[in-house]
Amino acid sequence: MLPSERLGFSPIGQRTKLELPDGARLAVWVIVNVEEWDPTQPMPRTVLTPPAGGATMPDIPNWAWHEYGNRVGYWRMLEVLDHFRIRAVLAINGSAIQRYGPIARAALERGWEFIGHGFSQRSMQKVADERDDICRTAAAIRDFTGRPPRGWLGPGLTETWETPDLLVEEGFEYVCDWVLDDQPVRLKTRTRPIVNLPYTQECNDVAMMLIQHHKASEYYDLAIDQFEQLYHDAAQSARFHGIGGAPLHHGRAASAPIFSRRARPHPRPFERAVLDRRRNPRLVRGAAENRVRASPAHSFELRSEPAGLVDKVAQRPAGKETPAIVENNFVAPVVEVGAVSRGMRR
Amino acid sequence: MIPRERCTYSAIVDRPPLKLPNQARIVVWTIVNLEFWSISRAMARQVLPAPTGVVLVPDVPNWSWHEYGMRVGVWRFFDLFARLGIRPTLSINARVCREYRRVARAAREAGWEFMGHAWEQMPIHKVDDQAEMITRSLDTLARFAGTRPVGWLGPGLTETYETPDLLAAAGIRYIGDWVYDDEPTEIRTTYGPLITLPYSVELNDIPMMLVQHHESAYFTQRCIDSFERLYSEGAERAKIMAIAIHPYISGQPHRIKYLEAVYEYINRHDGVLHWNGVEILDWYLAAKAEP
Repeated sequence: MLPSERLGFSPIGQRTKLELPDGARLAVWVIVNVEEWDPTQPMPRTVLTPPAGGATMPDIPNWAWHEYGNRVGYWRMLEVLDHFRIRAVLAINGSAIQRYGPIARAALERGWEFIGHGFSQRSMQKVADERDDICRTAAAIRDFTGRPPRGWLGPGLTETWETPDLLVEEGFEYVCDWVLDDQPVRLKTRTRPIVNLPYTQECNDVAMMLIQHHKASEYYDLAIDQFEQLYHDAAQSARFHGIGGAPLHHGRAASAPIFSRRARPHPRPFERAVLDRRRNPRLVRGAAENRVRASPAHSFELRSEPAGLVDKVAQRPAGKETPAIVENNFVAPVVEVGAVSRGMRR
Repeated sequence: MIPRERCTYSAIVDRPPLKLPNQARIVVWTIVNLEFWSISRAMARQVLPAPTGVVLVPDVPNWSWHEYGMRVGVWRFFDLFARLGIRPTLSINARVCREYRRVARAAREAGWEFMGHAWEQMPIHKVDDQAEMITRSLDTLARFAGTRPVGWLGPGLTETYETPDLLAAAGIRYIGDWVYDDEPTEIRTTYGPLITLPYSVELNDIPMMLVQHHESAYFTQRCIDSFERLYSEGAERAKIMAIAIHPYISGQPHRIKYLEAVYEYINRHDGVLHWNGVEILDWYLAAKAEP
């Protein structure tokens, strides 16, 4: 199905106002991507080309560079997210659950949401049987977590014309590949509609560090600018801020993509991007369960129950685009626009 | 053997911490890379692609850009490390001992560790007889330096599935191609275990300057940012920070001061060891042998 058949054009300012619980303006969701790179295939991304260019097979240095993220980098990201008591969304290749057992267990223990991310890290247009790939991924998550995944992010956000149809038929309720809006939208499929959540290619370390080659601290600057603008926009209607990162990047020095990572081992820009924006206790208003507490640690209370908005959206009649929020969402603290930049920005 | 058959996944947090002598927190491992670029082939890297982007042979402008490093840039390195009293590891194409004898001699006289880095700079996949090339390279370096190298770095870190087996068979004890950890690790080969040392493609002027096109000054910032994090983690477990440089890149006049600034910053800290590859190897083997 062509994109234009899945949804009509809709300018964001002309929709029914979308409201978050307790008067919150913005939902921030952090997506951690964990992948398994098959050493017998070309590497999905590279940090170093071979002498005189081209591509070598096998590509051990770039395989090893990615593996660093899972052996070392992921654990730095975990420290950051633990410190701020943020439950991330884990977008994980089905095969990576077994391969990187300690990573999946750490996420499960923390109550992170698991979403499908392909069975292995290769384009959905290159897998032999797309439905089978989706089913195996869902089964790997279900067997490990005890619950089938509700969400899906294509490997590299890749889709075929059929992907949303197959996802719905295999029980998925939302997809993240369509980075076309700041609010959730509904996509038609040949059966029931599926919700698309606003993932990001902008606040995302693969795009920023591996393609655009920004320095690590640009991750922080971009995330803060993004947050300020979305927070401003959200005065009209709720907005959603995705933060995407992979251990191979952010687990390093600079947020490539946090871990860029891309610089080597310091997740500082990611840490600051995720955390600084909600760290000033002065700015906290109200006592809603899911707001920042004004404690010295600036810890973050997360809602204990899923928001369930995906369900609500799915039940509405087709044709009207309505928002949803992700299961493990957390809601940004209420801060004045601009406050973040005062005294917090380098 | 594919990587998974050589080594299973291991999360760093699940390992007992390694400790350095005298409460040191971090080892800084500096690697200077010296290469031979054959004018008869496409250049290993380019600062200036030809108009319309085609690959030309001969490629004189890019050949001479690399040659600048050997004529001029590397002498800035020798100055810097002599001043600092640091003896880096020299990752050297064996052919450099013939073609740039003057440079290789300066490294030998300064007491740098010679590490195998193939015969000349081309992907190892394109070498017809890898075992022969490895032996020829190590023999040449042994004759020149007086000791046979125990370390190896593939050209551009390249390996085929057989490379670690061939290296172990040739007497190599550590390699730098597996940039997958902050600690040394042991991998399997058909000739017994081989140690990987944490070389870097992050604190490395090729990916940073030639692939990612960062500004000269960012080298200092990235090294400091990495050092800060590793130094802090070094309170709990030994950390190793590799810095990999090339004379035709970091030896340029507009970059050298940013390299100097890195060491100036690092050397303001206690608990820092400047070790070469074989020193890291010996420490790791001894630390691992302890009960």
